[in-house]
Amino acid sequence: MSTTTTAPVMTQPTSSLARSSKFRAFAITFSISGPVIYCVIQHLNYPLVTYWPAIERLVWGLEAARPNSGPNMLWYGWTLTTIIIAAALGIVAMLIPERITKKIPLWLVWVFPILAIPYVVYSLMYWWRLAARQ
Amino acid sequence: MRSLISTNTFWTLWLFVHLICALGLLGALTHQAMAVALPVRKPAAGIVSRFRAVPAAGYATAVCVLYVITFLIGSFIYTQYRIAIRIPLEAQHYYKTGGFFDFKEHVASLGLVLLPAYWYFWKNAQNPEYDNARKGVTLVLAAMVWFLFIVGHVLNNTRGFAS
Repeated sequence: MSTTTTAPVMTQPTSSLARSSKFRAFAITFSISGPVIYCVIQHLNYPLVTYWPAIERLVWGLEAARPNSGPNMLWYGWTLTTIIIAAALGIVAMLIPERITKKIPLWLVWVFPILAIPYVVYSLMYWWRLAARQ
Repeated sequence: MRSLISTNTFWTLWLFVHLICALGLLGALTHQAMAVALPVRKPAAGIVSRFRAVPAAGYATAVCVLYVITFLIGSFIYTQYRIAIRIPLEAQHYYKTGGFFDFKEHVASLGLVLLPAYWYFWKNAQNPEYDNARKGVTLVLAAMVWFLFIVGHVLNNTRGFAS
């Protein structure tokens, strides 16, 4: 008696991007370095841009608080800086021979974002201290 | 568009679109996470088995597109949040709520950078070399999206629609 299975049918990737070893190097390097870069950039406070929503002003780099301008937003800048640096590293990885990039441990892709969470929680200490004082 | 409708309606509509995209993303990623965590080996009988038995690989591009769209709309709404929501939240001493929203923004960025590897692993689902990494990154991304959704939902209840 035969048994049918509903396990997903695995076929060869149809997209040329998915078959490309260079894209593999880019994607894995980008995703591994991204969480690390994000934490470092946020810690060192290197936003690519600063946005002032109250006056709809966008400036390059970090612009500290100014009178009568409302709050500034740095998160866009941190994210953009992270994407640019991670993409640059990904492009460098594309230039490295495949025999070297194949050795990058794939589990780092999901371990680094988990390791980033405690740092992110710590970086929000301002909020937790205010909450604790209540 | 802002001259045709009130400011409140304008932002409420964007918040609603953000919610719809987030729901689609949440559904697709939860299907995938269940499919990799508890793969179905026998014909799907019950509703839970059928939920796990979806052709998960086909969701990868949709998840990436939905994540980016939801992220971009959320980034747009964030400008209004910073002025109209966060300042009153701080004034009313809702510090944990404010803190969790900042936590959400960081998690959203961490999730965004995972997408290239996530997409690549799923597009090469026939390659057993990527099985563990695909499972790990899908479960982490699904946990992140659930976190983003729940924090967004709680924040909306605190000061969201029509506030």
